[in-house]
Amino acid sequence: MNFDIDPADLAFREEVRTFVRENLPPEMAARTLRNYHFLRDDQREWTRILNKKGWSGQNWPQEWGGTGWTPIRQFIFEDECFMAGAPPIDTAGFKMIGPVIMNFGSAALKQEFGPKILNGDVFWGQGFSEPNAGSDLGSLRTTAVRDGDDYVINGQKIWTSYVETAEMIFVLVKTDPEAKQRGISMVLVDKNAPGVTIRPIIDIGECHTLNEVFFDNVRTPVRYLVGEEGKGWTYAKYLLDMERAFSAEWPRNKRYLAQLRALAGCARSNGRRLIDAPGFAARLAQLEIDLQALEWLTLRALYERKGGTTLPVGSLLKVRGSELLQKIGEMQVEALGDHAAYFYADPRDQAVSDVGWPPGPAYAPGIVADYMYRRATTIYGGANEVQRTIIAKTFLEL
Amino acid sequence: MDFQLSGEQQMLKDSARRFLETNCAFEHRQPLIDNGSFDVTRWATLADLGWFGVSLSEEQGGFGGGAIETAILMEEMGRVLFLEPYWAIGVLAAQTIAASSDSLWSEVLLPAIVAGEARPVLAHNEPEARGTVEFVSTTAVESSPGRWRLSGRKSLVVGGNIADRFIVSARTAGAVEDRYGITLFVVDPGADGMTVRNIRLIDNRWCADIELRDVEVGEDSIIGALGQAFAALDEGHAHATVALCAEAVGVMEKALWITRDYIKMRKQFGVALSTFQVLQHRMSEMLIELELARSMLHRALAAMSSHTDARAAALSATKAHVGRSGKFVCAQSIQLHGGIGVTEEYVIGHYFKRMTTIEYALGSSHVHIERLAEAERKRAA
Repeated sequence: MNFDIDPADLAFREEVRTFVRENLPPEMAARTLRNYHFLRDDQREWTRILNKKGWSGQNWPQEWGGTGWTPIRQFIFEDECFMAGAPPIDTAGFKMIGPVIMNFGSAALKQEFGPKILNGDVFWGQGFSEPNAGSDLGSLRTTAVRDGDDYVINGQKIWTSYVETAEMIFVLVKTDPEAKQRGISMVLVDKNAPGVTIRPIIDIGECHTLNEVFFDNVRTPVRYLVGEEGKGWTYAKYLLDMERAFSAEWPRNKRYLAQLRALAGCARSNGRRLIDAPGFAARLAQLEIDLQALEWLTLRALYERKGGTTLPVGSLLKVRGSELLQKIGEMQVEALGDHAAYFYADPRDQAVSDVGWPPGPAYAPGIVADYMYRRATTIYGGANEVQRTIIAKTFLEL
Repeated sequence: MDFQLSGEQQMLKDSARRFLETNCAFEHRQPLIDNGSFDVTRWATLADLGWFGVSLSEEQGGFGGGAIETAILMEEMGRVLFLEPYWAIGVLAAQTIAASSDSLWSEVLLPAIVAGEARPVLAHNEPEARGTVEFVSTTAVESSPGRWRLSGRKSLVVGGNIADRFIVSARTAGAVEDRYGITLFVVDPGADGMTVRNIRLIDNRWCADIELRDVEVGEDSIIGALGQAFAALDEGHAHATVALCAEAVGVMEKALWITRDYIKMRKQFGVALSTFQVLQHRMSEMLIELELARSMLHRALAAMSSHTDARAAALSATKAHVGRSGKFVCAQSIQLHGGIGVTEEYVIGHYFKRMTTIEYALGSSHVHIERLAEAERKRAA
């Protein structure tokens, strides 16, 4: 055990910081730093800027065209990008279906999608959850029936983020309705295929990123089956497990806390700065402690060698990371004072001058919308109650 | 960075666990407690095992390790609710002396501590200090050239009951909370004017409460430079804080697994308690708090080589977290046991008691959060 930081990693952080400063368009950063959902066009542009540098596939090995970075470098990169206000890369493509295709898919699938994901040419919707299969994915009902060279898909998916601007959807389907988890397969579907209907769901921040997707006799070629029939559950677990060290959403927590700190330094309450109001600084300090604990548990997970521990660290990080986002959000909303109650509509791609926001400080818009949306953090990615059950069953053997 | 123990560190941990589990059974510790939680033969064994030198450099008579090695031992001691004053002498006193830049006293005391032959105890804490290291109201007045007269009260001096000498901090200049003006004096426990009351603590360790009334010592009893002891005390307390947090992690971990085993075995309503989801989730929360506390311990260990302010902030954050999470884990351990958890006879309540004394030693969670809050206010300025 030693905690000396590798000087090469420090130099890497500087390199990333310089690159981001020189290449991230300021107006894109300004849009992202207002906490509304990122714009797909920004994400596409940023992905292409990164790809030109060879940096879009941060978590991909070099043989897939990725950076081959160590986990700690991926973490540093994400931290720097997030703090600077870069839009996130497409999680569904780079961190979910991409690695599954590259690991388990046919050579043809790899060739077709690898370069397109890296260049932001293909974005993905994640078709896992269904109205009656949220945390309990084993009970999903969408079916894929083989018909010649096609599968015919029928059913419904829900909570499919950003699918309206995606090119493809990866879908968990039942290819064998009799078998429970063994009957699940993963297939790729063109979002624009006939029979695919997308219906927006407006979240409680009055923003749109969530959708329902209906499949009505949608045909997708058999070559779009990922790996083998009946292995969909295995692949889904693989992709969820790969990202376990990142499940605390540490960079987002860090940036939100920095925002809160800035708010508390300039917002005023009863003739003094909010930070000087009784108790406020102590509550802020508590959140900072929580953030540091998450950082160091994340680091432990990143540096862990294969087979190092059976601790379900992804579940631990998910629970506390999601809770912390909500706690920081609560204090941000409190810091807004009266302006927390004003409705500031998401400008999307409109110019801010055209939105007609009510009066208030420049930092106000976006905070409450995001706070509302982040009620989902303790639900998505496996509800925290499910995580606690996983911890109890697998590690504590209860 | 490497979070995995090196081969040598793993050996240290394994041998510590073997020794402590064999020799420190909860059921057999009453005679030790009755003896002031000290056994002279066992103290010699600890020295033979090399434990007093793990974090001292070779020039100081140690084995060249650092705070990480101390933490490994302290975590293991926490697991068995170790009673003897290893922390007081081997960490707090030894590291304070080592940081005093007094080569004479270091040469006299450090190798003797490592060999188990000297038991100097730092008599620094005072009732009103509450974790503020620079709080010293005990005074030392130069009564005649080269002679000093010490007066004041030192409280909760852990291990003070078996000290062969005290290292007393006293104010030779400055106001009560000034960093400048604190001096360390070596004082014989039997010196005229010393009243030493030995007191058993709620966790069954022992301490001394010391009254100094015009205790006379010579100039040669001063450790380090006159009025300059704060830096050494700060260094000693940094090591002591991180060691205490490591002990807390061991306390929490063992309490958690004792509780886990208990609820798997204990039946109510015809089924094992462990089948109730509400208890499963409570235990998951306990594990999360334990592992986050461990992560804060890593953060504190990483900060030990940082400059003073960054280190102080990291230690405050760690102490605050450990105090809070430790109380949660140990309190819930009692809760999940039910009635037996509040009996003196059964072990789990003793984990809660140990955690309680840890929480209030060297500044409570609240004290440390207030320090961080003050830094936040300054940062926003």
